[in-house]
Amino acid sequence: MIRVGVDVGGTFTDIVLERSEPGADAQVVVTKVSSTPNDQSEGVVQGILKVCGLAGVKPGEIDAVFHGTTVATNMVIERQGAKVGMITTRGFRDIMHMARHKRPHNFSLQFDLPWQSKPLVRRRDRLVVSERIMPPTGDIEVPLAEDEVKHAAELFAKRGMDAVIVAFLFSFLNNEHEQRAKEIVKSILPDAFVSASSDVVNTIREYERFSSAAMNAYIGPRTSAYLRNLEGRLRANGIDAMVRIMQSNGGISTIENSSELPIGLLLSGPAGGVIGGRWTGEHSDKNNIITIDIGGTSADISVIENGELRIKNPRDTEVAGLPVLVPMIDIDAIGAGGGSIAYIDSGGAFRVGPRSAGAVPGPACYAKGGDEPTVTDAQVVLGRMDPEHFLGGDLTIDASLSEKAIRKHIAEPLKLSLEDAALGILKIINNNMALAINANSVAKGVDPRNFSLMGFGGAGPLHSVSLAEAIHAKDVISPVHPGITAATGLLVTDLQYEYTQSTLMVLDNASDAEFGRVNAVLDDLVARANRQLDADGIPAGQRQFRQVAECRYVGQGFELRADVPDGALGKQTAGVIIDNFYNAHKQVYGHAFRDQQTEMVTLRVIATVKVETLRLPRLGKGGRTNPPEAEIYRRRTVFDNGEAADTPRYQRGKLLAGDRIDGPALVIQHNSTTIVPPGYLATVLDFGDMRIERDKG
Amino acid sequence: MEKTVDPITLQVIGGALHSIAEQMGNVLYRMSYSSIIRESQDLGAGLFDRDYNTLCESDSTPMHIGSLPGYLRGIEKTVPLDAWKPGDCVVHNHPYYGASHSPDIGIVMPVFFEGDLVGFSANTAHHVDIGAATPGLVIDIPDVFAEGMLLNGLLLYKEGVRNESLWKFISDNTRVPSLVMGDLEAQIASAELGVQRFQQLMATYGKETVLQASRQLMDYTENMLRREIENIPDGDYVAEGFLDDDGRNRGVTLPLKVTVRVRGDGVEVDTTGSSDQVPTAFNVPFDGSTKVACYFAFRALLLDTYTHEEYIPQNEGSFRPVKVTSPLGSIFNPISPVAAEARFSQIQRLCDLIIKALAPVLPDKCTAGNAAVLSFAAYSGVRPSGDYWVFLEVNEAAMGGRPLSDGPDTVEELMRNTRNNPLEDLGMHLPLVCDRYEVRDDAPPGAGKFRGGAGVVKSQRYLTPGFMTHESDRNEDAPWGIFGGKPGHCSKVELKNTQTGKHSYQPAKFSGLRTEIGDVVTYYSPTGGGYGDPMEREPAKVLDDVLDGFITVDHARDDYGVVLSEVDDGYGWALDEGATKARRAERMRG
Repeated sequence: MIRVGVDVGGTFTDIVLERSEPGADAQVVVTKVSSTPNDQSEGVVQGILKVCGLAGVKPGEIDAVFHGTTVATNMVIERQGAKVGMITTRGFRDIMHMARHKRPHNFSLQFDLPWQSKPLVRRRDRLVVSERIMPPTGDIEVPLAEDEVKHAAELFAKRGMDAVIVAFLFSFLNNEHEQRAKEIVKSILPDAFVSASSDVVNTIREYERFSSAAMNAYIGPRTSAYLRNLEGRLRANGIDAMVRIMQSNGGISTIENSSELPIGLLLSGPAGGVIGGRWTGEHSDKNNIITIDIGGTSADISVIENGELRIKNPRDTEVAGLPVLVPMIDIDAIGAGGGSIAYIDSGGAFRVGPRSAGAVPGPACYAKGGDEPTVTDAQVVLGRMDPEHFLGGDLTIDASLSEKAIRKHIAEPLKLSLEDAALGILKIINNNMALAINANSVAKGVDPRNFSLMGFGGAGPLHSVSLAEAIHAKDVISPVHPGITAATGLLVTDLQYEYTQSTLMVLDNASDAEFGRVNAVLDDLVARANRQLDADGIPAGQRQFRQVAECRYVGQGFELRADVPDGALGKQTAGVIIDNFYNAHKQVYGHAFRDQQTEMVTLRVIATVKVETLRLPRLGKGGRTNPPEAEIYRRRTVFDNGEAADTPRYQRGKLLAGDRIDGPALVIQHNSTTIVPPGYLATVLDFGDMRIERDKG
Repeated sequence: MEKTVDPITLQVIGGALHSIAEQMGNVLYRMSYSSIIRESQDLGAGLFDRDYNTLCESDSTPMHIGSLPGYLRGIEKTVPLDAWKPGDCVVHNHPYYGASHSPDIGIVMPVFFEGDLVGFSANTAHHVDIGAATPGLVIDIPDVFAEGMLLNGLLLYKEGVRNESLWKFISDNTRVPSLVMGDLEAQIASAELGVQRFQQLMATYGKETVLQASRQLMDYTENMLRREIENIPDGDYVAEGFLDDDGRNRGVTLPLKVTVRVRGDGVEVDTTGSSDQVPTAFNVPFDGSTKVACYFAFRALLLDTYTHEEYIPQNEGSFRPVKVTSPLGSIFNPISPVAAEARFSQIQRLCDLIIKALAPVLPDKCTAGNAAVLSFAAYSGVRPSGDYWVFLEVNEAAMGGRPLSDGPDTVEELMRNTRNNPLEDLGMHLPLVCDRYEVRDDAPPGAGKFRGGAGVVKSQRYLTPGFMTHESDRNEDAPWGIFGGKPGHCSKVELKNTQTGKHSYQPAKFSGLRTEIGDVVTYYSPTGGGYGDPMEREPAKVLDDVLDGFITVDHARDDYGVVLSEVDDGYGWALDEGATKARRAERMRG
C-alpha cells in the first residue's frame, strides 16, 4: 500500500509518502517543493513525482493521494470566483446586502462592509419571484410563480451567469419551491452550477443559509475545474491513484462530492495540522492537546479533547467576514508568527504584530531589505536559532542585521539592553498567543492544566515551553517532524460526510407524533449518507454513523451540540439528549439549567469510514541521558528568565527512544528547533516525538 | 507615586484586560434568552477600579461603553464603598442615579483581593420589559414612575446569598419573566467571570502592578486622543437641527443645537440652545447617555479603528479629554420626575451634530449627514395561554457619504451596533411574520461624489391582535449633504391592513397602538446625505447604482449628469460617455 499526502501552503508544498507492507515497518519519505500559486496542481504533481524519485516508487504504484488545498479559500479572499445569479423570495431581495446589519467596527466612521462593497452576488443579479412558505408549519401561502422563475432563468442565460442559486425564505421547513425552481433553472441553463440553498445547508437562519449557498456557488465552478484538472494532470503523469480531499471538518471526501459542495473545503488547509496533532497525540499517549501551528505571519490554535476534534459553533464559522454554515474544526487564527514586526507606536507603546514582514522582505536577518525587527530576529539575537541551521541551512542569514534592527527600533528608544529588548519581543508575542489560546480553551470551558501543548510548524517548538508556562499546560509535546505535521495529517483521517436538517422541537414534552416526524428526518439523513457511501463503493460493514442534535434552551439564540443515542428517538432517548445538552452548556458557559426546556433546532448525521492510518517506524531503544554522540556543539543562549547559559545543541535524528535531555538544551532538526529551557527535561518517545516537562529532580 | 510598569509588562496586562472584557461580553450574550441581548447584543461589560474608572470594556454596543461608571456612582448613594462585602451583587437601573435608561439593568459585583476592595466587575443589558405603562417601550407617559420597576442600588445577593424576595419581585413585575430572569442569570454569570479573572490577573502580576498598569493604560489612551484633538484648530464650532416632536404634542418640533469648543488638547460639547425637557419619555439621562454620546463621537472621529493600525485600549482615558455641558432642565439633562426612557434618537443626533460641527475642519475624518436615528419597535400581544409575548426590534438605517467611500447602506450607525434577528427564527416562535426586508427603493440616497447610504424598508405583519410602540424620529429633518453633496431622505412609517385595506401613515414615534390581525407596519428608514459634488462621481459608479437599482436613470441624469443608453445585454443600460461629458460640461457652465 502506497499513500501520499500533499499539503499546499503559501510558500511551500509539503509531501509525505508512506509505503506499508504487511509484517514490515512502514517506510516514510518526506519532501517539499515550491508552491505554484497560479495553478496549485502543478506543484502537487511535481512534488509527487519528486517524492516518488526519493522513495524509489513508480508513479503508477501509488494507491491513494490525499490533498489539502487552499484553492477555494484564496478564491474567496481574492474575490476571484464565479458570476453568480440568485433567485429569491419576493420582498427579500437584499438579505445578503443587510447581512446581520451589524458593522464590524464599533468606533469607526470609515469602515468597510465586505458584503456590500464586494458582494458574492451583485444586487442586479438578485431577482425575486412570487412564492411564500409560512412558518411554523411550512404551509404554502403563495404558490411558486413558475413563469417568473422561467423569466429570471432566461435573463440569467442572456447575462451569461456561471452559477445560479435558488434561495427562498423558510425552505428549511419545506423545500418544494426551491427544488421546483432549481429544475426550471437547470432546464434553461444546463451547463451552469445550479443549487438550492436547502441543498447546500438545510438549516434555519436565512442570511447565513443564503450566503453559504452563494459562497458555494461562487467557488463552485472554479473549484470543480481545479479538481478535475488536478485529476487529469495526475493521470497524464501516470498517477492513477484514488484522490481524496481534506475538508474543513477534518474528514476527507471524494473529488465528486468536493466539486458539488466546495464550501466544505474552505478550511482544508489548516485542518491537516490539527489532525496531524491529534495523530501525534495518539502515539504519544495524549488525548488532551492544545495545538498551535506557528507560521511566518499567523498562528492557528485548536483544542483536542478526549481525542476528539472540537467543531466550531455554527454561529462563529466564517471566512473573509462572510458566514459559512458548514462544520469546521474550531481553529482560531491570530496574526502572530516568526515574521511579526516589533515596533514602538506613536504613543510610545511596545507592539509586536499583527503586521508581518512576510516572506519578502522577511525578517531583518534575511538581508532582503527588511529593516524592522521581527520575532525571528529576536530568536536569533538570543542565540535560539543558529544561522548555520536556519531552514536546515537552505537559507543564509546575517545575525548582525537582527541585532542592528532591534537596537535601532526597540532597545535604544526604550533604553533597554539588546537582550532585554529581544526578550520583550518574545514576551509580548507569546502573551498574544497565550491570550488567544485562552480564548479558545479557558473561555470555552477547557482547563489547560489537563492538556499538553503541542507547537508545530517550523517555529512551533521554539515557543512551546514558554506558551505552556503561560497557560499552565500540563506538559509539552514536540512532534517528530514539526514542519510537516499538516501534511502528515492528510494520511491519518477518516472519510466523512455530514447531512443536516433543521427540525425544531421542544424535547421535554414532545408527543409521539413529533418523535415520529423527527425519526423520519433522521432516517432520511441516514439514507442520504448511505447513497453517497454506495456511490463510493464502501461496504456496509465499514460505515459508522453518529447522530447529533444542536440544542438550546427555549428562547436562547445559540445552539450547542448534544449527542443523540443510536436508533430511533423516543421519550427515553430525548432524556439522554437533554442530559448531554445540559453537560455541554455547563462546560461552555459554566452554568446550565434544570428548570428550562430544551429545544432541538437542527439534526445532523455524520457518516465516517475509517481509513488506513499512517504508521511510523518505532525508534530504536536508547534510554541514555544527554547522549554525547548526539551533541553537535555548545553556544551561548538566553532563556526567558534572562539568564544566559552555554547551551548544548543536539541533533534530533541521532536521538533514540527513551533518551533524556536535560535543559538547558536545543534540539535541532531540518527546519525546526526545539527549546528545552533550564529546569526542564525532554524525553524522546517511542516514535520520535518528545515530551518536555518540568524536571522534578 | 507608584513605580512605573515597564512597557513589556504593560502590553501583557493590557492584552489580558481586553481579553477579560471580551469574555464577559461573550458569556452574557450567548447565555441570554431575549433576542435584544442574544441577537442584538444590546449589552456592555467591563472592569472598574475603586474610583469607578473604566479599566476595560467589551466591544459590544457603543451606547453601553462608557455608561457603567455612571451606574457605579449612582449606586454609591445607596451602597457606600466601605459597605461592600465579597459575594455581594447589586442590581440597578435608576435613570436619575446614573443609569443609561431604565430598561438597561446593571449588575455589579465587588472584586476583593487579599481582603481589600480593589474594584468592580459590572455589566448592563437591555431588558425586554420592566413592567412599564406599555409593553416593551414607552413614549407618551407622565413621569419616570411609569417606566416600570425602578431598582436603585439593591442587593440582589448579600455575601453570596440571593435575596429571594427581590428575585420574586422582579419576576412578578415584568410581562415576560421567563426572558428577563434568564437574562439576569446570564448577567450574573458574566459578572462572576469578571471577578474571577480580575483576581487571577492580580494573583499573577501582583495587585500594585495591575493597578499601576491600568493607570498607565488610561494615560496612554487619553494621550492618544488628546494628540488628535490638538490637531484641530481652536475654535467654537456650531451645528443645528431639529426633532419631529415629543410623541404627544404633534407638530411642535424640538430644536437641537450643539457647540463644540476646541481648546488645545481638550474639548467641550455644549448642548445649550437645544430644547427644554419634554413632558413625555423623550428625554435623555445626562450621566448615562448624553455624556456617553459625546465620548463616542470623539473616539469614532479621531481614533477610528478602521483607519488606525493599533488597537487603543477602551478605558477611562478616552473620556477624560471630553467635557460635556447641558443645562439642567433641558432635553439632555432633565430634572426628575420627568420620564427619560426614549433617548436614543436624540443622542444619535447629538453625535451627528458633533460630526457636522467639526466637518469643516475634519474633512478627511467626517461623514455627510447620517440617518442618526433609531427605529426601535416593540411588538407585543397576549397568547391564548394568557402569557405575554414581547419582541423588541431595532431597524437599521444608513450612513452619510465619506471622504473616500460611499456611506454604507442598511447598517447600524453611530451609537448603535446591534445584530438583526433571523426572520426565520422569529417566524417559528412569534405570531408575527416579516413580509418585506429590503433596500429602500422609493427614495434614493443623497447624491454626492460619494453618495449616502441607501435606507432600509421592513414590514412586519401581525397574525394575532396585539400592541405596538415605536420609538423613532426623523420624519421631518433630512440628513444633510456636505461639500456640495445632496441631502438624503426622511423616514416614514406606514400602517396597512391586508384584509380590510385600511391604510395610513404614522408619526415616527407612537405608543401602545392596538393592532389587528393582518396589520402590516412598514418602516422606511432615512437615507444618508451625499459627500462632495455629485457631478464629480465616477460615471461607472453611477451606472452601477442604476443597474443595481439604488437609483433611477432619471436621477442619474438629473443629479449626477450621467446619461445612459439602452442596450440589449440582459442588464439594460450602458454609459453614454459622450452625452455624459456634454451634460456635465453644460451643468458646469449653467
